[in-house]
Amino acid sequence: MNGQKPSIFTPALIGGAVAGILSGIPFLNCLCCLWIIGGAILAAYLLSKDSPVTMTAGDGALVGAFTGLFAAIVHALISIPLKALNIVFFRRLLEKLSEYTQDIGDWRQWFDRGTGPVSISWFLLGLIITAAIFAVLGALGGIIGTGLFGKKTPPPAQPQPPQAAPPQP
Amino acid sequence: MTIVKTPRDKRIIFIYALTLAGIIVWLAAIALAPYLRSQGHGLAPFVYACFSPLCHQVPSRSFYIFGFPLAVCARCLGIYLGFFAGTMLYPLRRGFSALRLPKTPAFLAVSFPIVFDTAANILHIWKTPNVLRLATGILWGLILPFYFITGVAEISLHWTRKKH
Repeated sequence: MNGQKPSIFTPALIGGAVAGILSGIPFLNCLCCLWIIGGAILAAYLLSKDSPVTMTAGDGALVGAFTGLFAAIVHALISIPLKALNIVFFRRLLEKLSEYTQDIGDWRQWFDRGTGPVSISWFLLGLIITAAIFAVLGALGGIIGTGLFGKKTPPPAQPQPPQAAPPQP
Repeated sequence: MTIVKTPRDKRIIFIYALTLAGIIVWLAAIALAPYLRSQGHGLAPFVYACFSPLCHQVPSRSFYIFGFPLAVCARCLGIYLGFFAGTMLYPLRRGFSALRLPKTPAFLAVSFPIVFDTAANILHIWKTPNVLRLATGILWGLILPFYFITGVAEISLHWTRKKH
């Protein structure tokens, strides 16, 4: 332990990967922005675990913002294969549901919104917007994580051994 | 409230004002999506798409204005409305001199209803009406600006010190 703060890169990468994957998987993404905040809390926890000193809220904001950026990249990457799978899966599900009920109008409307083709420029624009939003939410999560895990209690002071009396001349 | 004296206080006020402006723009954008859609404007899908990575946007779990669902679900709307309310309360609770994070028990207390209700809905124990989803979101959102403003102001002050 040299009293130095550890690098924020690894915790941010781990938190970002977890948040990006979970926020992109169908059904699990019903937790909305909470995955990003949760991933950033995880990153702040990992950072504080390796840190010998108390973390500041600013440290949490920084690691959280990077977590959000990584999460946006992971989210965008996994959304490419998952989008095609989602379309097939939901189309089958809606067809099945329509055999039992007529009341699937708003689900069909919700589904139809996301099935159009996506160009590279739209993909990149989406990635930039997502990265900006995730970075802000990640910063919030990182600060919350610091509040929860960032405090370090200093080790109790060791009692000084009694000093030997100087030799008498 | 304390009287503003130092550049540090001014920096905290600046971060506070940015946060307040940001959440107002954010809430306006949430309401803008259905308005644009009701007008048949071409930007409506873009505004909805901007919020799609953040929210499932299921219409039956969203409030409607102008005949169309808002850009986020009821719970997310609650979180953002709570954030706005918390930002308005911030100067009264903290002033602009002290920077400190909320206590952990306070965070756990406001988090319990949203976590409990979300878990119960996912596990199909019960189905919460949208108004209750909104309420749990507002309660949780209230505490968030006390974290956000503190953390961002600390980073900003740190960078200012480094620059000088």
